[in-house]
Amino acid sequence: MAEAETKQPVSTAGGKSSAAEIFRQVQAEIEKNRGQAGALIPVLQKAQALIGYLPQHVMLAISRDMKVPLSTIYGVTTFYSFFTMVPRGKHVVSICMGTSCYVRGGERILNTLEKELGIEPGSTTKDGTFSLEMVRCLGCCGLAPVVSIGEKVNRRMTPTKMKEVLSSYA
Amino acid sequence: MAKRLMSVEELNKFKAVAQKKLDERAKKIQVKVHLGTCGIAGGAKFVQEAFVKEVAARKLSNVIITEAACIGPCEREPVVTVIHPQKGRVIYCNLTPEQVPTIVEKHLIKSEPVTEWLLDLESPTFKLQHIRIMHNQDIDPMSIEEYIARDGYQALAKALTQMKPDDVISEVTKAGLRGRGGAGFPTGTKWSFVRRAVGDEKFVVCNGDEGDPGAYMNRAVLEGNPHSILEGMAIGAYAIGNVRRGYAYIRAEYPLAIETFNHALEQAREYGLLGKNILGTDFEFDLTVFPGAGAFVCGEETALLASIEGKRGNPRQRPPFPANKGLLDKPTTLNNVESWSNIPLIIHHGADWWGSAGSEQCKGTKTFCLVGKINNSGLIEVPLSTPLGQIIFDIGGGIPGGKKFKAIQIGGPSGGCIPIGHLNTPVDYEAVTKLGAIMGSGGLIVMDENNCMVDVAKFFLQFTRDEACGKCTPCRAGIPKMLEILSKITQGKGSMEDLAVLSELAEMVGSASLCGLGQTAPNPVLSTLRHFHAEYEAHIIDKHCPAAVCQPLFKAPCQHTCPVELDCPGYVSLIKEGKYADAYKLIRQRLPFPMSVGRVCDHPCEVKCRRAQVDESVSIRDLKRMAADYAYEHGIEFVPPMKPRRPERVAIVGAGPAGLTAAYELVREGYNVTVFESLPVAGGMMAVAIPEYRLPKKILQAEIDNILKLGVELKLNTKVNDIDSLFKEGYKAVFISCGAHKGDKMGISGEDVEGVFDAIEYLRELNLGKKPRIGKKVAVVGGGNSAIDAARDSLRQGAEEVHILYRRERRDMPAIDEEIEAAENEGIHVDCLTAPTKVLSQGGKVTGLECIRMELKGFDSSGRRTPQPVKGSEYTIAVDTVIEAIGQRPDTSFIKDGVKIAKGGTITADPRTLATDQPGVFAGGDAVTGPKTVIWAVSAGQRAATSINRYLQGKPLSPFVERDGYEPIEIPSIAPTEEEVKERARMHPTELDTKERKSSFKEVVLAFRPAEGREEASRCLRCDLEVGGEE
Repeated sequence: MAEAETKQPVSTAGGKSSAAEIFRQVQAEIEKNRGQAGALIPVLQKAQALIGYLPQHVMLAISRDMKVPLSTIYGVTTFYSFFTMVPRGKHVVSICMGTSCYVRGGERILNTLEKELGIEPGSTTKDGTFSLEMVRCLGCCGLAPVVSIGEKVNRRMTPTKMKEVLSSYA
Repeated sequence: MAKRLMSVEELNKFKAVAQKKLDERAKKIQVKVHLGTCGIAGGAKFVQEAFVKEVAARKLSNVIITEAACIGPCEREPVVTVIHPQKGRVIYCNLTPEQVPTIVEKHLIKSEPVTEWLLDLESPTFKLQHIRIMHNQDIDPMSIEEYIARDGYQALAKALTQMKPDDVISEVTKAGLRGRGGAGFPTGTKWSFVRRAVGDEKFVVCNGDEGDPGAYMNRAVLEGNPHSILEGMAIGAYAIGNVRRGYAYIRAEYPLAIETFNHALEQAREYGLLGKNILGTDFEFDLTVFPGAGAFVCGEETALLASIEGKRGNPRQRPPFPANKGLLDKPTTLNNVESWSNIPLIIHHGADWWGSAGSEQCKGTKTFCLVGKINNSGLIEVPLSTPLGQIIFDIGGGIPGGKKFKAIQIGGPSGGCIPIGHLNTPVDYEAVTKLGAIMGSGGLIVMDENNCMVDVAKFFLQFTRDEACGKCTPCRAGIPKMLEILSKITQGKGSMEDLAVLSELAEMVGSASLCGLGQTAPNPVLSTLRHFHAEYEAHIIDKHCPAAVCQPLFKAPCQHTCPVELDCPGYVSLIKEGKYADAYKLIRQRLPFPMSVGRVCDHPCEVKCRRAQVDESVSIRDLKRMAADYAYEHGIEFVPPMKPRRPERVAIVGAGPAGLTAAYELVREGYNVTVFESLPVAGGMMAVAIPEYRLPKKILQAEIDNILKLGVELKLNTKVNDIDSLFKEGYKAVFISCGAHKGDKMGISGEDVEGVFDAIEYLRELNLGKKPRIGKKVAVVGGGNSAIDAARDSLRQGAEEVHILYRRERRDMPAIDEEIEAAENEGIHVDCLTAPTKVLSQGGKVTGLECIRMELKGFDSSGRRTPQPVKGSEYTIAVDTVIEAIGQRPDTSFIKDGVKIAKGGTITADPRTLATDQPGVFAGGDAVTGPKTVIWAVSAGQRAATSINRYLQGKPLSPFVERDGYEPIEIPSIAPTEEEVKERARMHPTELDTKERKSSFKEVVLAFRPAEGREEASRCLRCDLEVGGEE
């Protein structure tokens, strides 16, 4: 999940696209899928891709435009781990909790990250620099344990290496 | 601009042109950079850039740089294939941009491949694979032209123009293709259900929601060969009928796969291979990619279909099955990526060809993701029913760091763990299910001795708990309840009753849950309970995690793994501070033989040392020796606290490390202890088996004297003839620690002549100062520590040529690795895969040994390969001395009745309390376990002392060793600095020159000097300071 997300703008703050432009693009996506079964998920994906997360007012707008109850949208948003309703930090640190990473010591890397960043998975540092996420499997099992920061995948992490990598972002 | 291919002729014409282009290209040097997700993560794009730059700078017009997808060896990314028109095809691995100029210079310009950077394509890793699904993955996945040039869309053309829909289905049925998503349902049968279902609109769906953590083979196909899936789906649509639309559900975590697949769809539409009137027929079909949004449960078919409909991915009750009521309530077939990818192969080459791989029940090949603790991790493709052991050890190259294989998890969170005893299992649907796992989509996760199976079960349950949709109660409520129990167990708070509840809950969740997720979620628990029950018991009864994973149970992995739980980080940090005396005292609180154990221990602690993740383990054993030797040389005394005297007398049979340790602990408790020893010396195997050059007699004696001076009575040259007489003499309890001093015979003809020695006898005589008369050419048979000791001793006794003959491979030898190495350094030949068949003699004296070569076949229950004689490979070696060292057992002739003897000749005792069947009689050490190292005997002595103490005071026996009354020693709690954790080689103590070794019995390994010791001690990561990582 992380890889997909991090290719996209993380936040609108200071970004190139204005709020109006974002709404235009979300609307275009709605038009493209209008009338088709299963249109909701691609629309939400597009919206999240543009904004970085799904704020309530955006979900409301989608609900009105698509004539889908907000409760349904909320249900879908909270069901799939891909969607988030809170903004993320400047660097999204995604630790893979897949089996291979676990077998090769991923848990200890997670402990290191929690200690170093001072936050739990699913939250963002106070200064907004880092978000910590647990992801299911990045599919880089041959390089386990892996932690991706933004688009960069850091392979064969150890607690020591992890600290070094983090400090290079500080 | 592409032209629609309106007939088979046009397809073939296009193919001919494409083929010609490929042929033209083959005249040049082709550099293919493999850009799968792993490759990109590994830095392949930088390597690609470097090639482009270098080739441009050198103006090489005969080089073409192209892109290709993953070919499997993920561990060695980035990977680049170079195809040279004259030199053929090679694959570079582990490339960095810095290496590129050299490759360009040597290989692309001078036509000399840089061999040391190449993958060995002749190795079993590649030779044993059978590549079908992955075979197109060195073509450019973005090019439909390349796919068509390689027979792409020929199967679709054949189906549309030469076969009726029913023919297609019967061909797939005949081939025997079974669902590659894991359940193994016959694909042809599934299709025929959907074909028969009533409906004027039907769907085909590709399940690309590869959610099993640790499995990504579907991604490789999606990224590497999208057209094969697309073609398969088109053929399926034709065969089922009334299908005009299909969906490929691909998980959002695979952005590259989605992009590649969408690109393939666009191309196929351009060429008229999707859309209306495909290849000029009236067949119409189109396909949409639906990116999943991250939900494991969507791998379940009804949940996946709900997700495509834009809903929450909740599964629903079946029946009705999707074959009748699927997507939008229309008949739908849902097949896995790999199943679809196999369809063009079946139709193009025919069912017979396709079914030629695999076994009768399970045909074809299967891709697997071989990951975890394995040397060659990555994607592999093998015929179904390939033995598990072959996949792990031949293809996978075994376990890294010489660790021991423990289990393999098959089928992800829905599967189970298969232990070491089942390596001959053919990997197919039925055999794997029988062992409590499932095939799943094909994730194979290898675990070694450092993985805790209780924690593994917990890991998978955490996963399924997080991924459960919450719709049905058994799964929603049952899994967290199971998890709660597992968490209790991993924190040392579990009880045996919990295990019963856990199994019951597992059965309930499995049988009552609505969908596959809940039904299979208990599998990891059930399979670990079945195959690793002892490990659960260790957590519950002993509060011990054998893999040293469950943090709440211990301070540091080294300490937890040590059989006597020596405080390794404690004394190592004291040494680092230069407080050698304190270090010695800390060691002595748990170990009466620090100088001896510091020399001969097989150091299980170092196996678990986390420093090995940075570079190498800390030299814990040698540090212990250094502190102990320092105390000895400086006359530092350790006086253990003594309890008031008690009246009871305790008899100990055998003065080895187990017996002496028990005596030491019991005398401290105030008992009157007598140790009976039949030999003229005390120390057991430490005195009469371990050679002087490994453990000097003077050192051992000093440690024994420390014990005796506390008031232990030692009776040498005194053989105990029966246990009951000891009780008659007034002893209230007996500890049998007689060791295993009887050597096993080889059982071959001619072994009763002069010049054949039993290793244990030979070592004993030598250690007792006699000079057994050996010859000049010696053969030692066996691979244990006695074999190595005997070989090295014979060299020192003047033998000119010494061979160790071992029937398995060197890595299987049970001897301590350092000792084998030392033997080789001294010029001893280690001949593996050979076994003696006959001792040759003349005039009653050995003249030679007839041997036969062995080969390794299959796997035994210990996970080692079984040696089998190679017919007709007999050969003889001329030797005048043969030393047999193939096994030892205790001499239990003094045990009459009351105490049980096991089949192998060892004494039967409770592994925790060491109690035998006779009240008041305890047994431990080699006499119970068979030959093991000193530290295990010390541990047995401590357990025996605890049990005897409790027995004599009428308390229930307990397995826990309690030692109290010691003065506390302050341990520095300073974490290592950043400088100290940087990669740094392990220090090795100085060793005696090899020349000097052969002529004397002088000690070979010397102690660390203080500066060396402090330096080495500073490598310790101080795991004991880490706060326990509880959930």
